[in-house]
Amino acid sequence: MTTPLLEIQNVFQSFPGAGGGSVEILHDISLEIREHEVVAIMGPSGCGKSTLLRAIIGLEPPTSGQILYRGKVQTGLNPSTALVFQNFALFPWLTVQENVSVGLSHLPLTTIEREKRVAEVIDAVGLGGSEEAYPKELSGGMKQRVGLARALAVQPEILCMDEPFSALDVLTSETLRNEVIDIYTNKTSPVNTILMVTHSISEGVFMATRLVVMGAHPGIIRAVFDNPLPYPRDEHHPDFIALIDKLHALITQAALPTELAAVEGGGAGKLPIQSIPIISLSSVIGLLEVLENEGSLEFFELSRQVHVELHQLLLVVKAGELFGWVTTPGGRVDMTAEGRAFLAADINARKQLFNVTLRRLFIFDLIVQALIKSARNEVDETVILKQLTQLFPHERPQRILQTVVAWARYAELFKFNGLRRVFHGLEKPAASVLSHK
Amino acid sequence: MAMVTDKQSIQPPRAFSRVDLAVAGLLAAFIYALVTVAHEWTAPLQQVPEIHLEVRFLPLYTLFSLSRGVIAYGVSFFFTMVYGYTMARVAGAEKVMLPVLDILQSIPVLGFLPGFVLGLVHLFPNQNIGLEIASVLMIFTGQVWNMTFSFYSSLKSVPPELTAVARLSRMSWWERFFQLDLSFSATGLLWNSMMSMAGGWFFLMVSEAFVLGEHDFRLPGLGSFMSLAIERGDGRAQLLGVLAMLGMIVFVDQVVWRPLVAWSPKFTDEESNNTSNSWIWERLRRSRILRVASQSWKFLRRRHGHAVVPPPKQSEAPSAKAIKVRRWTSRLLISALGVVILFGFVRYVQLLWLLTNGDWFGLFQSTAATFLRVVTAVALASLWTIPVGVMIGRHPRWSHVLQPIIQMAASFPAPMIFPVVVGSMLAFGIGLKISSVMLLLLGTQWYILFNVIAGSSAIPRELWEVSRLSRFSWWQRWKQLILPAIFPSLLTGWITAMGGAWNASIVAEYMKFRGEVLSTTGLGAAISQATERGQFHILAAAVGIMAVAVVSFNRLVWRPLSHRAQTRFTLET
Repeated sequence: MTTPLLEIQNVFQSFPGAGGGSVEILHDISLEIREHEVVAIMGPSGCGKSTLLRAIIGLEPPTSGQILYRGKVQTGLNPSTALVFQNFALFPWLTVQENVSVGLSHLPLTTIEREKRVAEVIDAVGLGGSEEAYPKELSGGMKQRVGLARALAVQPEILCMDEPFSALDVLTSETLRNEVIDIYTNKTSPVNTILMVTHSISEGVFMATRLVVMGAHPGIIRAVFDNPLPYPRDEHHPDFIALIDKLHALITQAALPTELAAVEGGGAGKLPIQSIPIISLSSVIGLLEVLENEGSLEFFELSRQVHVELHQLLLVVKAGELFGWVTTPGGRVDMTAEGRAFLAADINARKQLFNVTLRRLFIFDLIVQALIKSARNEVDETVILKQLTQLFPHERPQRILQTVVAWARYAELFKFNGLRRVFHGLEKPAASVLSHK
Repeated sequence: MAMVTDKQSIQPPRAFSRVDLAVAGLLAAFIYALVTVAHEWTAPLQQVPEIHLEVRFLPLYTLFSLSRGVIAYGVSFFFTMVYGYTMARVAGAEKVMLPVLDILQSIPVLGFLPGFVLGLVHLFPNQNIGLEIASVLMIFTGQVWNMTFSFYSSLKSVPPELTAVARLSRMSWWERFFQLDLSFSATGLLWNSMMSMAGGWFFLMVSEAFVLGEHDFRLPGLGSFMSLAIERGDGRAQLLGVLAMLGMIVFVDQVVWRPLVAWSPKFTDEESNNTSNSWIWERLRRSRILRVASQSWKFLRRRHGHAVVPPPKQSEAPSAKAIKVRRWTSRLLISALGVVILFGFVRYVQLLWLLTNGDWFGLFQSTAATFLRVVTAVALASLWTIPVGVMIGRHPRWSHVLQPIIQMAASFPAPMIFPVVVGSMLAFGIGLKISSVMLLLLGTQWYILFNVIAGSSAIPRELWEVSRLSRFSWWQRWKQLILPAIFPSLLTGWITAMGGAWNASIVAEYMKFRGEVLSTTGLGAAISQATERGQFHILAAAVGIMAVAVVSFNRLVWRPLSHRAQTRFTLET
């Protein structure tokens, strides 16, 4: 067997986090990328898929582990790669032509060759006629064509794309996806491998020949699939739908383990140390509204009904499960009696119910206890942040805190002063509904 | 730069348009001016060269002053590039360089004067050039600081993905500097350059004519013309001087800044509906000369590009050794700078030992007096600029018409009309003690006005509509909507105005007027007096006190307030 194009071996990546610690973004990633592949790296936000892509290109060298290109350890930027950015990253003061030729100045080309190459790629992506336009004159789709042309101009062996279509509208991204596939399948194009990051499962299945599914906190590779469907792919073909369902099932199963219910009974008095999904409360209530009629829905049916990105929906369901409002036996989402009671209540009763619910959650209990202990009924944000960093080293404590504050405000459990950045209790500490003895 | 307009114009370009002739004429005039200035610079040093108050000398004097301002701007630009870049990009440099810049900015121009003048006159004992350089450097100290701050903060906010593109394209250091750093900072630098030029003119009179100990230094120029006219009480010459100054400001504005402002949207990301029009830019971009110039530039670059660039080295990651060397060099540089600062500090403290207790007491009294004046001036200025600024900002049409006029008024150096104010107030029996407040007001009100206009024009129309629909009373509207909304920009205006007022006290509390010296108790007067009498220990102490006053007021009052403004009163979510 020939040497793979890229070998990613035991790559770890951490960045300095709040309070002096470090946040581990990538955990022991190993992956091989062969020639003539379109590899899509997928996963929820915060799983480090962009970080992995940047490590492969050489923009951010990994903390440990190594990346081999054609069998040789790679240091610095990999000259055979080019990157297409999510938000285009065009120089506003350069014309289309100049933006495209930016990447060429370091290559040993004569001016004639360079100009020829620029003209070719501009034509190839359908920008002919716009050579002298400035980026601000172009629509989003045209801007990303410039980004694509700039990447193609260096004739990269590996074309890397970081969520290249997510800043575009649905129709434009559809067009561009097809154009990129055309470039890949075109025998004369130098691109022989595409490595892309996406959060959309259908985009991955539409474009990739191999799908890499990552999990978050910390980023790990959960599964790798081959996608043998021939190009051009039809989104309504049964095989296509089957593959999407397979991926859905995998991701759902990983995200919603059924042992959650067991924890509740097990811990007497002690709350399980558990983080919370970063999600707004109103979307969880929205989930209950959707479930109200049927009471129970297949997970896929649910995701089809609400038009929410799968990873996002998973977070919502997880939050609902955390509150005890839904259960998820075997790929179904069932509403519980508690969920029904919450939905039926008026706004004040809802707040009371939610107050009780939050007190059962570890992080909220942590803050409530800290407030009780404090003399002035006040706790500084940094104290909590430090504890969160220690407890959940793979998550962003700031984002957890924002969610905590939003939920607690709804429940009127405790307050947060955004100016002084302190938590403080309510004026009269409400009698503890659940006693913590 | 591609000339897009060539394709659009229907008429074939004429062989030579009038603009081309004008451009050619300008070139010739420029060369002549260079020669004249060079001649003046190499002229033998005269301590008191004759300054003539006749009209025929005025154009030449204006040219001299303009060239000093332009050279000073060049120095400012260079300083900004080097200092700002180092501060933003060299690891660890920021920690030292940012406070140093903050302190330098608060030192009034007379604080730099003795060092510059004595040092440079020593260096060139027989030629005017030493004095000329000193004068240019004093104008430079009035220009440079806000440009450096602007460049630094632009460099700090270069989008990371553009940096990634620059790295992926293996841009050379120079390419990256021009294509990314400088281009990204262009808009901010331009606006600050306009402010800087105005700031430089403010102390023009001091920079061109000053007494240091027993030496009376004068350089031919508009500033020295004005100060002589004021000293002699020559009303006609004063009027002429003011007109010449106005002419110069309008000239620079029309020929340099307007065209640049019209050109600058190129560097912004948004499609602007910038209606700023510049007749010069409009003609220039159609002119043949510019087209030929841009084509030949392209040609030159192409010729240059024919040479095959050697392939780049595979690895661009610096070796561990290189990193080590770099780190040690930067450490060495920083510690060298530290030694210089320490040495200067020790000498400074030695100088302060010479002050008697009486001197200190007098200085603190003066500081209190000046502080009161500064606060009063800023308060009075706020009284009229806030309502007027809010009105102007609310009506785009007004601001479109008024903005250029206000800009022009703001860049006119207020000290030049001080005599008129002082004279008319004296007629009512009001002395410099009170009228100096008016002078400070004249010098600094514009900063507040500009910022209030900017703040009020940024209030979304919906909020005005809500305040109408909720039947806000007049007072409610100010309390709930206007004041909170303009607060962040008002604060910026106050900070600038207050710093400026401290510095302006030097010329407001002490002046030579109709053959006599007018002065009042104040830190500015103390500085001016000490300079004239050559009492360097008092000068050093007074300048130090002023710097400490400005910096500590910034740290203790403005900084907490702006933190509050940023967290609570910003309009964007």
